[in-house]
Amino acid sequence: MVPNPKFKQVLVLSTAMLSFISFWKAASVVLCDMGSSAYYAGSIAMNAFGPAAPWYVLAVMVFGGLMLAVYVESCAMFVRGGVYKVVNEAMGHSMAKVSVSALIFDYVITGPISSISAGLYVSSLLYSIMPLLHVNWHVPPKLFAVLFAIAVTIYFWKENIKGVEESSDKNLKIMGFVSVVGAVLIVWSLFTIYVRGFTLPPFGLKFTHESLGWMANFPVWQTIGVVGILMAFGHSILAMSGLETLAQVYREIEDPKIKNLKRAALAVFLFAFVFTGGLTFLSSLIIPADLIGGKYADNLLSGLALELEGPYWAKLILQSFVVASGSLMLVGALNTSLVGSNGVLNRVAEDGILHDWFRHLHKKYGTTYRMINLVAISQIVVIILSRGDIYLIGEAYAFGVLWSLVFKTLSLIILRFKPDMPREWLFPLNIRIGRVQFPVGMVLVFMVLLSSSLMNLLTKRIATISGLASTLVLYALFQISENMNRKKAQFYATDEDSDEKMNLRKEADIATILPELTKPRKILVPVRNPNNLVHLKSVLETADDDTTDIIVLSAKIAKGMQLDGDTGSITDEDRELFTPVVLLAEKYGKTVKPLLVFSNDPFYSIAQVAQAAGADEIVMGVSGSSGAEIQLERLAMAWGMLRKSDAPSKPVLAKVVWEGRQMTYQLS
Amino acid sequence: MIRQSDGVSLSALIKPENVIFLDGKPSKEEAVLRLTEAIFPRVDGLISRKVLFDRVAEVEKLNPVLESGFYIPHAKFPELDGFHAVLGILHEGFTDQATGLKVKALLLLLSPHRPAFFQRHLNMLSLLSQTFQPEFIEKLAVQKDPAAAAALVTGK
Repeated sequence: MVPNPKFKQVLVLSTAMLSFISFWKAASVVLCDMGSSAYYAGSIAMNAFGPAAPWYVLAVMVFGGLMLAVYVESCAMFVRGGVYKVVNEAMGHSMAKVSVSALIFDYVITGPISSISAGLYVSSLLYSIMPLLHVNWHVPPKLFAVLFAIAVTIYFWKENIKGVEESSDKNLKIMGFVSVVGAVLIVWSLFTIYVRGFTLPPFGLKFTHESLGWMANFPVWQTIGVVGILMAFGHSILAMSGLETLAQVYREIEDPKIKNLKRAALAVFLFAFVFTGGLTFLSSLIIPADLIGGKYADNLLSGLALELEGPYWAKLILQSFVVASGSLMLVGALNTSLVGSNGVLNRVAEDGILHDWFRHLHKKYGTTYRMINLVAISQIVVIILSRGDIYLIGEAYAFGVLWSLVFKTLSLIILRFKPDMPREWLFPLNIRIGRVQFPVGMVLVFMVLLSSSLMNLLTKRIATISGLASTLVLYALFQISENMNRKKAQFYATDEDSDEKMNLRKEADIATILPELTKPRKILVPVRNPNNLVHLKSVLETADDDTTDIIVLSAKIAKGMQLDGDTGSITDEDRELFTPVVLLAEKYGKTVKPLLVFSNDPFYSIAQVAQAAGADEIVMGVSGSSGAEIQLERLAMAWGMLRKSDAPSKPVLAKVVWEGRQMTYQLS
Repeated sequence: MIRQSDGVSLSALIKPENVIFLDGKPSKEEAVLRLTEAIFPRVDGLISRKVLFDRVAEVEKLNPVLESGFYIPHAKFPELDGFHAVLGILHEGFTDQATGLKVKALLLLLSPHRPAFFQRHLNMLSLLSQTFQPEFIEKLAVQKDPAAAAALVTGK
């Protein structure tokens, strides 16, 4: 008779079960944000400085490729290598707060610019279709766009409160659809150019009074060629928004992570260059200049579809597809802005610079709804204030994008002078000086970024005023929150709310978990000490994620009521143990199944879970108190005691791994 | 180091002369001491009495009683070439203070302390704990004769 199992309940850390995605899916998530600017960036730039805009949009897309490479280096250093983490590491807390304030401003504007743009495209389509259906359509496009934008923002606001996460599968489907529509547009555009001929856009810059901003007061400066180029570049920079999404999606990229990250970055660059840069360029070749500044000022790609060579009905069908694909992508970007800002604010709150009030979880859905409310309400306010004027909102947009990138790039340059920090990839063009790889290439990128950002401060009045005001407000909010949290910490020794939130799923029996283990090989990795995860690292380094389930088991010594099934909830100790487990899994891009069982003997739990799961290997870390041999002896005894005589004779390897060594034996 | 699973058997280990009945109600320490006394003649000349008793007293504290109520105090000695064991059977048993489990059978196992033998050592521990399940221990505890007890264990 096999003795009764001594654990009554299995806890599964559901939030820790990351599933990793291919580089295609990662690229599609980034592109749903970054690529969406194709629908408005070109027309905003053309409105700002005239027909030379396509050249600058193309230049910005090339520069976007360099910025993607900057992000690859930051992700190669930190698995969660977003702006906040990198700036905090390099320049400290205060600058991190400034940069994250700029980033939040970027997110707050991304939603409105995307949703309003989508509304304007839908409105343009309705204007094309309604007369054919004999419907008298009277709603002004900007009013329609505002109502549309508010409606979709409210929809995604609710969805985010429900905790519906971004689906990389959906993003991939959207990007597939967008790619097909984009390919048709490009081929048809090339055919049109072949039939009609073309004239390349001029290089001359014609700034409007609005686009000169405060530079209008310095006419001498405008005569300097490079100043004009920087001004035009700054007006086009919004075409490369969405880079931060790459840092956020990196943690989910599958093994081999850096290789896949580079592939994703390359895919994003090629797509964005062809889609945003190429289509803007083709639009300028095909659409008459007066229509670009007039009828199609708010819906450039709709205009491109309608101005192609061919029958009207075919162009109308193409316009419908352009609007459908654009709307999907643009509202996707709105959703990304809500998800992204919530993620960044949560990260900031974990560091205690956002008051715990914001971290309060929704009673039903368990989401940080107050943060989502803050961003969504701000976005709706921006939508209303903009009155559907895409140019106005575009003016404000680049502030957050540019300054967060400035701080991030500067931080990475500073971090180059900490050569001991591990890096798996470096931005190219470096000169080795002693142990330091001096980042010549990145310094050049930084100089372009800084010059454009400073120039934008002068030319984009709305962006400067609203961006600085918003950054100041957010910075003040962070500062006050931090001070309040500090005071609070003096009164309370522990504060449950300040802990990272982890979701638990309780199961009565290990058998209910087994159907979730579907891969042919299974490795059980017992963990106990967060500072001793060498064995988990060795498994993550070598295991094939496609064929191997990695079960990470914490077998806790149960006390009193816990053995009767009253296991309560996850403790600080569990959180401390599983946080590095999750970070390691993220680093290697491999899925782990974290389990927590309560037992009066951890070796029984290990043997029981391993036998129930049909594990092929059990990989333990060495115990400082007992040593590897005693660990193996105790496991062998537990193994034999639980082993049924009629159980199939399957070889199971038991390993104890520590730095530079391992002991491997077979359990019988 | 990965070694093939070395086959181990209880036949060579559990012979009638290696089975003793522990009368009365000895404590865990006393029971282990009596098994050590019983095993010493078999390793005399290889291991000194002091080394044996000191080492077994040490492992007695380290080795836990199994959930099945079976107890395997075990120690490894570089001087040995093979397994040595003595099986103790208690009709009434003793209660282990650490776990609260009733122990009616215990086996003192001595193994060679060599890397090449460790796989067999693990296999033996696993086989012993697989064999000595609670129902089996109850059957063993009512035996009166060492030969019958050894036959029950070895299945002969």
